[in-house]
Amino acid sequence: MTYLEALRLALRRLRTNLLRTALTTLGVIIGVASLVALIGVGEGTQAAITSQIAGLGTNLLSVNAGAATVGGLRGAAGSASTLTIADAGAIGQLDGVEAVAPEMSVSNVVVVNGRSNTTTSMTGTTPAEAKVRNYQVQTGTFLTDLDVEKGLRVAVLGPTTVTSLNTTPTAIIGQTVTISGIPFTVIGVTQPKGGSGFTNPDDAVFAPITAVQSRFTGASSLRTIGVSLTDPDQLAYVESEITALLRYRHQLATSASDDFSMVSQDQLLSVASTTTATIRNFLIGIAAIALVVGGIGIANTMLVSVRERVREIGTRKAIGARRRDISRQFLVEAVIVTLGGAVVGVLIGVAITGPVGATVGVPATPTLFGITLAFCSALLVGVLAGWWPARQASRLDPVEALRHE
Amino acid sequence: MADPTVAPAQPPLIEGRGLTRIYPMGDSEVAALRGIDFRIELGENVAIIGPSGSGKSTLLHILGLLDRPTTGQYLFAGVDTDTLDDDRLALLRNRAIGFIFQSFNLVSGESALENVAAPLVYAGVKRKERVERAQEALARVGLTDRAHHDPSQLSGGQRQRVAIARALVTRPAVILADEPTGNLDSRSSADVFTLLQELQSEGLTLVTITHDQRIADRAARVLRVEDGMLVDPAAPGVTYLDGGGRPHDPTTAPVTPPSGAVVAHPESGLAALGFDSGDVS
Repeated sequence: MTYLEALRLALRRLRTNLLRTALTTLGVIIGVASLVALIGVGEGTQAAITSQIAGLGTNLLSVNAGAATVGGLRGAAGSASTLTIADAGAIGQLDGVEAVAPEMSVSNVVVVNGRSNTTTSMTGTTPAEAKVRNYQVQTGTFLTDLDVEKGLRVAVLGPTTVTSLNTTPTAIIGQTVTISGIPFTVIGVTQPKGGSGFTNPDDAVFAPITAVQSRFTGASSLRTIGVSLTDPDQLAYVESEITALLRYRHQLATSASDDFSMVSQDQLLSVASTTTATIRNFLIGIAAIALVVGGIGIANTMLVSVRERVREIGTRKAIGARRRDISRQFLVEAVIVTLGGAVVGVLIGVAITGPVGATVGVPATPTLFGITLAFCSALLVGVLAGWWPARQASRLDPVEALRHE
Repeated sequence: MADPTVAPAQPPLIEGRGLTRIYPMGDSEVAALRGIDFRIELGENVAIIGPSGSGKSTLLHILGLLDRPTTGQYLFAGVDTDTLDDDRLALLRNRAIGFIFQSFNLVSGESALENVAAPLVYAGVKRKERVERAQEALARVGLTDRAHHDPSQLSGGQRQRVAIARALVTRPAVILADEPTGNLDSRSSADVFTLLQELQSEGLTLVTITHDQRIADRAARVLRVEDGMLVDPAAPGVTYLDGGGRPHDPTTAPVTPPSGAVVAHPESGLAALGFDSGDVS
């Protein structure tokens, strides 16, 4: 019997058992659909995080207070208060440094605008922040040198923060909001960068570092210094320059370890892509389990089907079917069920990828990789699920099979 | 093996020599057949009778190449079937043997036509020719108008006629029928019985297991199986009639096959398989 004949036979058989076929296929449909959707979400997450990090600034080097430990993990940011505004000024004098933004952070500030309020974090910084961290304003202006010099109580808000205050970028310009009880005048709103989660660059408040220092922290220690380079190829050189400079300024003994650490954008990207790849693989794993369960369902149905059709198998053997004809019949049937489920599953998966991504806040689209992987796994599952029942069927003794009630 | 340059005399279609079939049953063994010798020539009409459990079904399974004897030799068209592997046996069943079962054994969910054409699928016949030949076979059993019915929509008699069409469609040398009228009412039995007799008279070899006295009466020869052995069927008080209704002694040598038996089935299994060229064993 050719595969084409086996296919015809399988289709006739499946048509006469439509309900069972549909129920059997459901497992595969769910497995394949979740594979497609979760891979789409996984890749969407990866793309979103990557572009988010790229959006944080180009050629960026962050100098953080506190020592890096072996293995690249560092203590909580700001756990050591070793960086100063003067350090930032000194770094700005180095070769290959384009701009330097000292960053003084205050977390959990409450911003109140009329009856609306939101909790966010505030960064006290200088106009260079816009250059270093790649911010553009959509309305108003960013901080100016004058604002910093005079320590004015002015603020630039991120678009998400503005939305949280139930207002619009144009409406809030010139308004006075209170930040942890202290009034600030809003002078600008930044362009959205896209992003979500704990480090959303759009949920932010920027104020002159002088104002933050006098009103909030009272100290001159910085959490980070953002450094942008004139040439990304000089990264290693600038890093060594900064290390030497800060060690000198902090008067560290030769044997002492650094009391600061540096992270470049490249390093952040590679860490993030490793993390998101792990997340993606985890999602694929979950979907794969669903598919395997679907495959077990198919194997089970096929075994029941073989048992129900013992007489038919005996009859087919009597009229000339060889073992391989019988096994092919059942194998093709299992593969057809699985592939049918795969087709439906892919369609559903493609349809739900966007909505699933939206619920977790990630722009997700179905990927060719996901669809291909889902299809190939379904085919594999079908062959594996059909193999054992087909073998059972083909090895039935014809005499026993014909006697079977 | 015979020298292929010398044309051998036509061997009997079926020949059993000392056939036994022993089934293991736990620690002991049960002998279903205990040494059977017989020959069936091409075109013969043979009935196998005997009480339940006598071994006649086992015998039919061996004749039909569904089972192998434990000891003894079974020759089909002169070929020792012990030398054939399972695929070869399947091929022989497909081309040379047609089965008819007591419970019809049609596949539900497939139309009468598809059921009849099923053996041709395994024979590798193209779809178009399959349909034509299946329709011919259905016409032969008078069911042209039922071709697209599911077996469940047919009466018992019609189902058995579909099964007969399925057995005929490969133009086999022999039809093995296991109680073909056992599940039918008397009217349908008569139809099926008449049909089988007609086919036999056209040249088919017919071997029937039966309790139906009429079939046994009409058979040219009766093999009586009792307790796994052939016994003299001419028990006192039983008269067997030949095809013309004349008294006939079934213990005598087999009747000569009707002339043209092979000609009527030019594509019947043996020639098609080239069994006379000796390439199988």
